[in-house]
Amino acid sequence: MFRPRIAMPDLSENARCVLKILEAGDSLTTTEILELARTEKYSGICTDCAGGDAFVAAANQLVELKLITKKFGKGGYSWQLAKD
Amino acid sequence: MVDWTKIRSDFPALQRKINNRSVVYLDSACMALKPKQVIEAMNEYYEKYPACAGRSIHKFGEEASNAYLAARKKFAKFLNASHPEECIWTRNATESLNIVASSVRLPKGSKIVTTSLEHHSGSLPFIERAKRDGLSVEVIKARTDGTFDIEDWKRTVDNNTSLVSVVHSSNVTGTVAPLKEIIEIAHDRGALVMSDDAQYAPHHPLDVQALDVDFSAISAHKMCGPTGMGVLYGKLEHLKSMNMFLYGGDTVRDVHFENGKIIPEYLPPPEKFEAGLQNYAGAIGAGAAAEYLLSIGMEEIEKHERTLLEIVVKRLLEMNHVHILGTDDITIKTGLVTFRVDTIPSAHDVATFLNDEFNVMVRSGWHCAGPFHYQMGIDPKKGTVRASFYLYNNMEDVNAFLEGLTKLIEISS
Repeated sequence: MFRPRIAMPDLSENARCVLKILEAGDSLTTTEILELARTEKYSGICTDCAGGDAFVAAANQLVELKLITKKFGKGGYSWQLAKD
Repeated sequence: MVDWTKIRSDFPALQRKINNRSVVYLDSACMALKPKQVIEAMNEYYEKYPACAGRSIHKFGEEASNAYLAARKKFAKFLNASHPEECIWTRNATESLNIVASSVRLPKGSKIVTTSLEHHSGSLPFIERAKRDGLSVEVIKARTDGTFDIEDWKRTVDNNTSLVSVVHSSNVTGTVAPLKEIIEIAHDRGALVMSDDAQYAPHHPLDVQALDVDFSAISAHKMCGPTGMGVLYGKLEHLKSMNMFLYGGDTVRDVHFENGKIIPEYLPPPEKFEAGLQNYAGAIGAGAAAEYLLSIGMEEIEKHERTLLEIVVKRLLEMNHVHILGTDDITIKTGLVTFRVDTIPSAHDVATFLNDEFNVMVRSGWHCAGPFHYQMGIDPKKGTVRASFYLYNNMEDVNAFLEGLTKLIEISS
């Protein structure tokens, strides 16, 4: 079970949504995250993902907070929850 | 001859190093950096006379009033407005567009014409107005290169058209609309023209009188001014006849109390549209930005940006896997280029890589222009990358950007 190291209320809605999505998958590309964010499953928590920029900015903040990691390779970035 | 190196030194943010590297700021179409002249003008207000303008009779109030008044005059000069009163302070171009959309008087059953290239702020306020008042809306489709066919305008704008809302310079393709011709067509058919100049005004000479435009919306933050400041230009006759947008303090000549009733008597423009305590520091900063840009010369700024853009566009056209969105004809472009990289599905990954590895700051996303992305078959959530240039950019910036992009394509291919 993923346990954030900072209190969830301190995170933006977008950041919380990214975390929720990554909880469900091992490693996801930016496009996969944005596609999932727009599905019915996450519609209640992911509301600012149409253009994706605010969403990816939030993901980058989570990297700064060491809650998730990102890796660049063929096809772009893949993101996953940081391992304890 | 402009000393562009000296100009660059006016911008404190460009002195920063991140991870021991200089920053390459190519996101001015979103937010321009601020020169020290603008920062100092705003600081002066806060440090020396941080008072209410137009209300308080003490020395601070007098100085604030003078600076506030002078700022409006500077902005009017920047646009070549015939009266300073034609410049209304707003929060941004979006608010300027909303004021016109909600307050201009349009005949029942008439038509509003807009385009598929608009920023959401240039179309949505008018679509909502049309819904509210039962007006119709017709959308002119931009060509795939972001230009317009003038024949479409002649066909679409008819005698029943009451208003045209058009983006002067696109924030996506950078293409400059043939505004003078569009205005002539609209006026010939009795329609007003609202020009979204958020991208045009910071980069080109803008003469509202020569254009004969009815309304123009400008954001100060894109022209080296402060955030949260914009201007609505409107011909005085139109501003006078418009309904008010906000009511309250500073909008009134008098408020009577007769027979138990409160009876207001409102002021003419600009006060009519500036209810409540204003952003004095912001207005002073916006005035300083206008003065700063004019001191360099808008023709010179336009020329400088096109010099850089010409090199960038030429190189991008030579690169495999890069696809420019919109025209590559820089003579009808503002200093920006938007593109996709076909080895990387998400534009956000391109922007993240350039930022992380090269300190190159560009914008990714749909740029608040969903309709044009859909028209071009581009999934908005994958988006496009936009690199935008301004007076403080130089060849080192261009080279860093191209080097970063080359590396990205090399790794991702």
